[in-house]
Amino acid sequence: MSHILPHLLNGLSLGLLFALIALGFMLIVSVMEVINLSHGSLFALGAYFALVVIDPDFAWLGSFGEAYRALPLPARYGLAFLIAPALVAVVGMGLEVCMRRTYGKKAEYGLLLTFGAALVIEETIRVLWGPSEQYLQVPRDISGAFLFGGLIYSKYKLYAALFAAIAIGLVWLFLERTPYGAIIKAGAHDSEMVRALGINLTRLRLLVFGLGAGLAGFAGIVLTPIWGLRPHVGIDAVIPAFLIIVLGGIGSFSGAVTGGILVGLAVGITGAYASDWSLLSMYLLLIAVVTVRARGLFGKKSVLEA
Amino acid sequence: MAPRQSFAGRWVPGEMALLFVLMATLPLWIGPVGLYQYLGIEIAIWMIYGLGYNLLLGYSGLPSFGHGAFFGIGAYAFGLFQLRVFESLWLGMVCAVVAAAVAGAFVACFLSHRRGIYFALLTIAFGQVFWFVSIKWHAVTGGEDGLLNIPRPALELGVISPALSTNADFFYFVLFVLAVVTVLLWRLVHSPFGKVLQAIRQNEERARFVGYNVWLFKWAAFTLSAAIAGLAGSLFSMAQQSAYPDVMSLHASGIIVMMTLIGGGFVSFWGPVIGVAVYFVARDVLGTLTETWLLWFGLVFVLAVIFKPEGIAGAWQEFTGAKGRHALARRAMAGLISAGRK
Repeated sequence: MSHILPHLLNGLSLGLLFALIALGFMLIVSVMEVINLSHGSLFALGAYFALVVIDPDFAWLGSFGEAYRALPLPARYGLAFLIAPALVAVVGMGLEVCMRRTYGKKAEYGLLLTFGAALVIEETIRVLWGPSEQYLQVPRDISGAFLFGGLIYSKYKLYAALFAAIAIGLVWLFLERTPYGAIIKAGAHDSEMVRALGINLTRLRLLVFGLGAGLAGFAGIVLTPIWGLRPHVGIDAVIPAFLIIVLGGIGSFSGAVTGGILVGLAVGITGAYASDWSLLSMYLLLIAVVTVRARGLFGKKSVLEA
Repeated sequence: MAPRQSFAGRWVPGEMALLFVLMATLPLWIGPVGLYQYLGIEIAIWMIYGLGYNLLLGYSGLPSFGHGAFFGIGAYAFGLFQLRVFESLWLGMVCAVVAAAVAGAFVACFLSHRRGIYFALLTIAFGQVFWFVSIKWHAVTGGEDGLLNIPRPALELGVISPALSTNADFFYFVLFVLAVVTVLLWRLVHSPFGKVLQAIRQNEERARFVGYNVWLFKWAAFTLSAAIAGLAGSLFSMAQQSAYPDVMSLHASGIIVMMTLIGGGFVSFWGPVIGVAVYFVARDVLGTLTETWLLWFGLVFVLAVIFKPEGIAGAWQEFTGAKGRHALARRAMAGLISAGRK
């Protein structure tokens, strides 16, 4: 048992990170009934924006830029966490505006549109930042390694899991304890009824898409120091996200978190025995669960099935 | 009742004849317009792939986002047959088609009671499984490098067996396969089987109530479409003389969806044919002008989904005022329902 413990821990922290990726995806799919295949590209975009916020290399910033770049890294890193997701949220809102013509059509149109958007964002990243791998700097205090029980752990992975847990907690508080959260949940349940009650559905959708995109960007900043930053890193994020959502049940917050942790554990434990095949386990887990429970673990009947 | 068409009209309508003439004369004009022979081979192979794929997307309304898997399985199966068993064109192709069809039939068992988004999501999951296995199963697939030096066997015709080693010769072989596939698929979509698929796309429940075994039709359409993808894959491994995992990635699977949709697969049999030609010519023409051509292609795709999901064929039909397949399909549906009532 003891030899599997590190893998369990590893799986658990990976699970929290997966859940973080899936959260924004879940918000969008439950309120908008849109599978946002560009989620991964927004994830990558968040990390690239953070790259710019941490080290803005623009001549036109002049002396302000120099003063800014003289700030200590933790301060700039903290700012990146605020600014980059906000910028991604703006991009997400732009995408939502483009999507309006597909509402009311078959759900596949949303899928196709966001697939195209993913390609466009990824290629734009390639143009702006080049195709090669980049590194997102992390403050010294939260990087490096430490020893525990004779094993070496990466400090940053632990902090990343912590960031993920905090973000998940905040989203939960937002959904469960604020009036906006109540509207979003109601919108996920029955958006037409929400409109009938006099709530501006257009604005709600815009905000939810912005929030979902912002969360994707946030996840990108947290995860890319571990995964590395390439223009196509998004594919590594969107696939687990959608697997987790289908596994957990579309439109369920607890489903997304449980699904994320389950997938993380599955990957972690398979990693212990057959590290080459660890990612395969999440697909097999999904196929197994969905074959038995068509709507996932916590799913209710949704509009997407029509 | 529509008037009975002539034999030629039913088997080789005008558009098909035009396609065949254009493709058959391609070696004569592709050089002078600044392109090259190999492009013709690629276009023909992807036309086979796209036509088979549109049986799902356009005719049955089933968006598969993992179809690259079956293309790849065909390519690997052909390559493995040549490298491990013995060199044979026909047997290799049969092996590729059977392998892709078996994989497709297996996957379809999990998919056929699903529709819409859930269908699409499961196809992504299965596509990723096959892609992942192709990368990791080094002993069989050669990992990320794939299978290299796959021979291109001679065309065995009993008495004579001409070599296909030059691209010019190989092109005519691919064209022959394309012609066979096109004619058979054309007949298939105009057969009662094809009409039921269209009825399923329009309203699955209604088609079920009329008394059709919807599950079986979807299963058969998926399997057939996978088999055709495998056939295209076998030609691809001959063209490239290698087989590699790239063609199975989500990206590659998405590209065939984009080609089919931009061309107008939703409203026309010829949608994927147009889309494939546009894609490859755009890749080569725009690709020489700018390295970011995929960005522009992606933008065009996004605009197409927003404003014109009927694609190029749809725009053409609107322009000429021709009756779209939708109108025909609606009539077919009405016919089915009245037949069911009797």
